[in-house]
Amino acid sequence: MFDQVDAYHRPRSIREAIRLLRNGGSRARIVAGGTDIAVQADPSIRSLVDITRLPLSYIRKAGGVFSIGATTTMAEIEDSAALGGLAGGILVRAAAACGSVQLRNMATLGGNLANASPAADAAAPLLALGASVVLAGGTRRRTLPLGEFFRAPHQTALARELLVEIVVPIPPRGARWGWAFLKLGRTLSDIAVVSVAAGLQVDGRGTVKAARIALGAVAPVPLRFGGGEAILAGQRLTAARIDEAAGQVAREVSPVDDVRAPAAYRRDMARVLTGRALGECAQQAGVTP
Amino acid sequence: MTTSVVGKNLRKVDGVRLVTGGAAFTDDIRLPGLLIGKILPSPHAHARIVRIDATRARALAGVHAVLTYKDVPRVPHTTAGQAWPEPSPYDTYLLDNKVRFVGDRVAAVAAETRAIAEKALRLIEVEYEVLPAVLDMERAMDPGAPVIHDEPDSTGIYDRQRNIAGYILREIGNVEEGFRGCDVVIEREFRTGRQQHCAIEPHISIAWLDEDARLVIRTSTQVPYHSRRQCAMILQIPVSRIHVIKPRIGGGFGGKQEMLLEDITGALALATRRPVKIEYTREEEFYMARTRHPQILRMKMGATRDGTIVASQMTVVATTGAYGSHSTTVQGNTGSKVLPMYRARHMRFQCHVLYTNAPVAGAFRGYGCPQGFFAQESVVDELARELKLDPVAFRRQNAIRLGDIDRLSAQLGEGREGLPRVIRSCGLNECLDRGAAAIGWERLRKARRRPGHLKRGVGVSCTMQGSGIAGIDWASAFLKMNEDGAFFLQAGASDVGGGADTVLAQIAAETLGVTLDKIVITSGDTDTTPFDVGAYASSTTIISGGAVRKAAEKVRGQVFEVAARMLDTTPDKLVCGANRVSTSDGLKRVTMAAVAMQAMYKDKLQIMDGASHYNTDSPPPFCVTFAEVEVDTQTGQVRVVHLVSAVDPGTAINPMQATGQVEGAVAQGIGYALTEELLLDELGRPRNPNFLDYKMFTAKDMPKLTAILAETDEPLGPYGAKSISEVPINGPAPAIANAIYHAVGIRIRKLPIRPEDVLRELRDCGAV
Amino acid sequence: MKKLTIRLTVNAAAREWSISPGDLLLDVLRREGYFGVKRGCEKGECGACTVLVDGRAINSCLMFAAQAEGREVLTIEGLGRDGALHPLQEAFLDHGAVQCGFCTPGMILAAKALLDRNPDPSEEQVREAMTGTYCRCTGYVKPVEAVLAAAKAIRRAP
Repeated sequence: MFDQVDAYHRPRSIREAIRLLRNGGSRARIVAGGTDIAVQADPSIRSLVDITRLPLSYIRKAGGVFSIGATTTMAEIEDSAALGGLAGGILVRAAAACGSVQLRNMATLGGNLANASPAADAAAPLLALGASVVLAGGTRRRTLPLGEFFRAPHQTALARELLVEIVVPIPPRGARWGWAFLKLGRTLSDIAVVSVAAGLQVDGRGTVKAARIALGAVAPVPLRFGGGEAILAGQRLTAARIDEAAGQVAREVSPVDDVRAPAAYRRDMARVLTGRALGECAQQAGVTP
Repeated sequence: MTTSVVGKNLRKVDGVRLVTGGAAFTDDIRLPGLLIGKILPSPHAHARIVRIDATRARALAGVHAVLTYKDVPRVPHTTAGQAWPEPSPYDTYLLDNKVRFVGDRVAAVAAETRAIAEKALRLIEVEYEVLPAVLDMERAMDPGAPVIHDEPDSTGIYDRQRNIAGYILREIGNVEEGFRGCDVVIEREFRTGRQQHCAIEPHISIAWLDEDARLVIRTSTQVPYHSRRQCAMILQIPVSRIHVIKPRIGGGFGGKQEMLLEDITGALALATRRPVKIEYTREEEFYMARTRHPQILRMKMGATRDGTIVASQMTVVATTGAYGSHSTTVQGNTGSKVLPMYRARHMRFQCHVLYTNAPVAGAFRGYGCPQGFFAQESVVDELARELKLDPVAFRRQNAIRLGDIDRLSAQLGEGREGLPRVIRSCGLNECLDRGAAAIGWERLRKARRRPGHLKRGVGVSCTMQGSGIAGIDWASAFLKMNEDGAFFLQAGASDVGGGADTVLAQIAAETLGVTLDKIVITSGDTDTTPFDVGAYASSTTIISGGAVRKAAEKVRGQVFEVAARMLDTTPDKLVCGANRVSTSDGLKRVTMAAVAMQAMYKDKLQIMDGASHYNTDSPPPFCVTFAEVEVDTQTGQVRVVHLVSAVDPGTAINPMQATGQVEGAVAQGIGYALTEELLLDELGRPRNPNFLDYKMFTAKDMPKLTAILAETDEPLGPYGAKSISEVPINGPAPAIANAIYHAVGIRIRKLPIRPEDVLRELRDCGAV
Repeated sequence: MKKLTIRLTVNAAAREWSISPGDLLLDVLRREGYFGVKRGCEKGECGACTVLVDGRAINSCLMFAAQAEGREVLTIEGLGRDGALHPLQEAFLDHGAVQCGFCTPGMILAAKALLDRNPDPSEEQVREAMTGTYCRCTGYVKPVEAVLAAAKAIRRAP
């Protein structure tokens, strides 16, 4: 399958990795978990740049953020007690919903994002949490909000760069937060037909201080739905408001027909799942809407 | 009768090899000089090959052969693994100058590596005259529809101008009259999808010429003997110059009841004089192998107020894809095994099996019954409701029973006149009783509707199958004794994973009075084992087992002759058991090993014998399936909470293996019901030929499963056995559909049952 | 074609292999005679190619052989000791969890990886661990039973 590959590199620094990537041009590929590259089996690949020996596998908490190294595997995220305590554990739940044990042992968070599938499991929770990605290119590094990182299906903002870290701000304290992650598929380990990550911060009087709604698999890229969020922000949290927000999200999605589901069903499910996720958030925040 | 080996949960005889990863499967072999073969698939659903030039491909370094239709004999045949003369059209060619589906063979190459073979395929120049294609089976008979098999040399096609591969019409009594006399008549239309076998081991064949220049084919097959015969015909070599070896097989389920890669691999081996292997990728497996036949069924049933089913009529349009493999026989089963489930006086079955430019359909566990029972059991449920009768009671009242004669099967044999079927064993009532108890039928039927968006319901289905094809399936077996009192059993039968080798060894051991470890079985090798039709039609335990029992009885007779002389008595006073021969009063005994030594070195006699066997009837196993489901009325998703499959298999030779068959068949049945379908686009190209996009249930999707064996004693089967490997696949789809109705009051008549369809129905009915 | 040499441990034995850069671990293992590692889909779905790398279950059809450099690989051939079967292998045989056997090596290894980390799993946890090994023969009923039985046997062993 990869008989045309004539070089396998194991760079010892990020700089070397980027240099190899740039030298190889469009025929060079990063290998981390390998789960997407082997599946896509692109015959034009000539060199592989294995970044798994770089110090990019870590989960750190400092200064109000979680910093996750790009080659941290989904299994490591799933097993992280620290991340389990972040935002009701929605990132951990999303990682756990990813395929099988074997895939989770190999697939990396960076790879999941760089592959930029519209249904990328980890994307919705990270978007809901306002995450950013750190891209390294040559001598420079830049940080980009995740929402700006996804450009189109399987296209990202990477410009001959390496995604090295994902930065996840810890939600502000004070008042109550509720978080939810839901995924709908034909079977339990399927790629998402719709995935939703939501968070609500509610004050003592039941007013929404902050709302986060992000969906995967309903648009060319995973997205945050500001329209739905705006309906809730600053308002009393009621069942009617939740319905309205879910309805707004359903109007804003742009799903496609594919073998997994027709577009109309995805639109419907965007509404249903958003409503359920917001309901779960409300419950966790101690509010009965 | 008490038995000491039959009926016991003994470990599989090949078990240790399988759990230690021992070299067992077709690909687990090192062959010096092995070449990799690959098939060039057609990109078009329907086209003529106007020009094909393999010059550049042949010139590529590392390529040893490229075959096109110009290089091989043109011999019309069927690939269906059936006894000769096969009741399927002879409409297939090793390589042809016309292609009839996306994936059809255009050419084949053999090269030193997979990469070179793939590159060679790209260098073959082909000019196609693309023809209009017909993908919709409802359009295939239209006047002016493209004729898929316009070649004059194909035979056995019912009406090639109208793309009708096969046509069946059979009637018992007079349904028109029958329906007139009914108080309630229900007629509905059902559609079923294109399921794929998804055996974890794809199709694979390796062929080479041995030192005597005989063609050896080591292959993943359910039908080594049929494959040998068909390859002989196609490659124009005598049958005895071909040696087919069936190693361990990684699942078949009917997909390997086919001569699929053996001919082309053999042709490449002959062309290159080197060993050649063709192994399908998973993608090729999805659309270049076989699938289940999609059907459109109109089911009409009528009953009188007292709950008697009077008339039933099934009208089917099915598509066999581009070639007619198993076309009339699968569909014949849809009628012959399904309609007689109930004792209607009037039955009518009519079926058109049509060619379309789609992947080829063939044998698949259940063999036409899953489609038929989905339709029938759904209508039976509606009838019961109309008549205000309990669904279980209604079925019990009308189901076929002990002593009945099923006359429809006399009309619908394997493509031609069959034999009437007499029910000599029937555990249906016990299946209904124990199954109902296990699911909690009474409780669930009476349960209150839950508040909220999750609704639960319970449904039932009553199904049967056959055990071997009456008057056609046959088998043979041979036994010889060794010095240590162990016996070598050579059986033509094909164990494709279900444990046939173990079951046959148990039958032999029981008959010979030895423990299981004293039977060493070789199977499925055309050089070293005698003939067997192969593993299909649920025939192995009853037919191959019947041959094994007969052979073992003959050999036991020889053992008794020798032992009688040793014990100074007569054979009629002897019994055997626990590796010994004893007088029936228990006073004198001798070990099997001693008998062997006496025979071989004193009497100069090899104790050995063989036998052939067939039945003139096909005793049905029965299966009642209960399903409890939960419908999410907001998402349309259907979750199976609990599924009970209660089966009457006759005697279970190895109960553990038997319930394993039930569980596996049910898993495939649930997939058929809810998620599995190979989809094609408007150009006939597969849309989801991989496991990511074609969804099967995994370990965490499976609901609670309860398998129940309600054993009976079948006179036609060895130690009372019938069969179990197919029947449980028939029940889940209708049981689930009926449970959905009970839960939310909607009827889904299309498989697979998709959430969006459930949601749409719920909305149309105003339920949400 | 420039070859690469990789050094790794397979079933506790040191191995040094000459490979091509693009070689996948599945292909190399089978080429080196580890027939228990199966090819089922080449897309990391069916899990028939499952092996343990440093104790974790992975799909060898997705891993480049070069990535196994310096790692410890366990295939089904490495299970069991001195001709004795591992409790998982015994349990699979005793419970009728082996039908065609094609998925069996992958299943047993996935189960071993689970039991090595979690010696007392719930049925749900066992099913989760087996989600990545497809079986078309058993419906997963007896394999799950076998894993739970093996777990018990291992916990009880001296």
